[in-house]
Amino acid sequence: MKAALSSRPMTDRLAPTAPGLRAQAYANLHRHMWKLLALLACANAGLLAYLGAGAPKPWAEIDWMDVAGEGGSALFALVWFAMLLKARPAGRVTNLLALGLGCIFFSLWMDVLDEFIALPDAWVWDNWLESGPMPLGWLTVTIGLYHWHQEQLAINAQMEKRESLFREHRLFDALTPLARADYLRRQLDMALAQSRRDRQPLSLVAVDLDGFGAINRRYGPEEGDAVLLAVSQLLLLNLRAQDLLCRLAGDRFVVLLPHTGEAQAWRMADELRASVRHLAHRTREHGERLHLRAAVSVVMAVRESGEELLDRLNHSFLADGEPVPALA
Amino acid sequence: MPPRYYERDTSFIPAHDQPSTLLDLMLGRRIDADRALRGSGLFYDDILTGRRSISPQQYLALVDNARRLLPGEDGSFLFGQRIWPGHYGAASQALRHAATVRDALDLLARRHALLSPLATPRLWRDDRYVWLYWTDGCGAAPQWRFLAEAACAGVVALCREISGQRLPWEFFFRHERPRHVEQYWVHLGRELRFAQPLDLMRLPRHCELQACPVALPTVAQVAAQQSEEQAQALGADASFLDRVYDHLRERVCEAPSLEQVAQAFGVSPATLKRKLGKHGTGFQEQYDQVRMHVALQLFLVRGCNNEQVADYLHFHDAANFRRSFKRWTGHAPSALRPALEGAGNRA
Repeated sequence: MKAALSSRPMTDRLAPTAPGLRAQAYANLHRHMWKLLALLACANAGLLAYLGAGAPKPWAEIDWMDVAGEGGSALFALVWFAMLLKARPAGRVTNLLALGLGCIFFSLWMDVLDEFIALPDAWVWDNWLESGPMPLGWLTVTIGLYHWHQEQLAINAQMEKRESLFREHRLFDALTPLARADYLRRQLDMALAQSRRDRQPLSLVAVDLDGFGAINRRYGPEEGDAVLLAVSQLLLLNLRAQDLLCRLAGDRFVVLLPHTGEAQAWRMADELRASVRHLAHRTREHGERLHLRAAVSVVMAVRESGEELLDRLNHSFLADGEPVPALA
Repeated sequence: MPPRYYERDTSFIPAHDQPSTLLDLMLGRRIDADRALRGSGLFYDDILTGRRSISPQQYLALVDNARRLLPGEDGSFLFGQRIWPGHYGAASQALRHAATVRDALDLLARRHALLSPLATPRLWRDDRYVWLYWTDGCGAAPQWRFLAEAACAGVVALCREISGQRLPWEFFFRHERPRHVEQYWVHLGRELRFAQPLDLMRLPRHCELQACPVALPTVAQVAAQQSEEQAQALGADASFLDRVYDHLRERVCEAPSLEQVAQAFGVSPATLKRKLGKHGTGFQEQYDQVRMHVALQLFLVRGCNNEQVADYLHFHDAANFRRSFKRWTGHAPSALRPALEGAGNRA
């Protein structure tokens, strides 16, 4: 069965969906395997060194309170280490954080071993092994976090026009790199309040592809997904830095335009429509040119809630941009 | 004569037809085949043989997985858009080349065991509208909303494909207005009402009578006849609950009892009860549902008033009927009629 499945042409999908990302996380862990192995080797070396130099303590001398406290801390440091490696791609920030957490774990681990193994007083290395890596580890983690902040600023710049004000990854779309309707609703409520405070207009533009169902039927749903991805990238290119693009549902996109009156919103909507018409999307199978068209609609907020505004935006669409048959 | 109905656990749905459409949707969204099929008793290799039949119960397990696993809120709509005309032999061909939308809808209702084994489509026509409503043929309570959304999206997509234009369907749903109403706007249309007594869609009559540009009337007619043989090979053309519904619908004026219905089905009352229980329902529930649908039909299609409907349904008086109606639907007849009768207004 696995063979039958892996032969499906799904490996070259453009957008990683949630399960795809899960697979990627395991790949991450695999890539970082040497880090994990190095840490375990160090821990093992520490254990062997202690056993070589000292002797196990008798059962009665073990302070179980200390074992629980130090052992638990060591365990959590190890869990953080694994979660970090699982979540992040390789790179400088990851290396710094991993090194720091590794040092912290090692230090705590040696502390735990100390509870089980009695070392001769002449042996002074144990103090170094237990206390030395700890401050080094905290320092490295701190440097790593500082660089993480820098990295985050760079990523924020890349998320421009797709995210604003707040972040909630559970509201991201599974298909396109955009947020979904629930995210739009929350942003819209915040933006409406802001626009009332600033006494500035706020408009919404909806972009709906024509004949998207026909593309799905003729070229398959994978091609439909590729079209949605291409169009979402195209629309992003045509927006200003303060605008927010979301995929409402299916083939309908909504742009939130702060500080924008209706006339300007219509101008932008017409530009979006024109850009979709001029997009030379080619199918992935045969490179066939698809002629895309979009219908657009615009509403400007007037004393209404976000939900009412969205409702009005969607009702201003005639069905799919095509004429409804006249009543007989 | 063998019973000409299928039950929840009758294996007759070809696994490579509609269930595979749903499975492919899940696989396309990178859901693992094992997870997609979990609890259905099916294996991917079984489906690939092209000879495996599954029961409504197994299909429902698959639907349940889809409902839970598909990312986003559009899973049911995407599934619906892919089910018709489909690739189910002659029945699909007859749908694809139907001369008019009317023919396609009639075929869908007549051959629903092939085309829509879980959600049963039923039609009413009056001089203004064709009304299409959906009843639960196999006891799909937890999955019903997914099925109803898929069925409505399926009819919209089918009509669009064969008529070449998006028809002005209006929708009535039993459930409350959902949070993700934008999926309904985009996939169904703008005329939506929620918290209604039944899952219903309607279309002005003149829209269903226009000739379809892709029609091949002769091909469609022959294919429709062949789909009859297809249905016979299946062994049943309606579910057990459909048969009970139809039976009650025919005799609703005589106020039939459980015993009479059991006799008509050639089983003991205890067996009838057990079979109904297997589908998650009971005699009174089915009877009430039929009476509610008949009452609505008399209101909307025939324009009857409360007294006439009460009389037709063997109620003691109109007040009694109003009380029962409120119990069935949560609304008094006077509150429901304007919403259902009014044209062009929306939720």
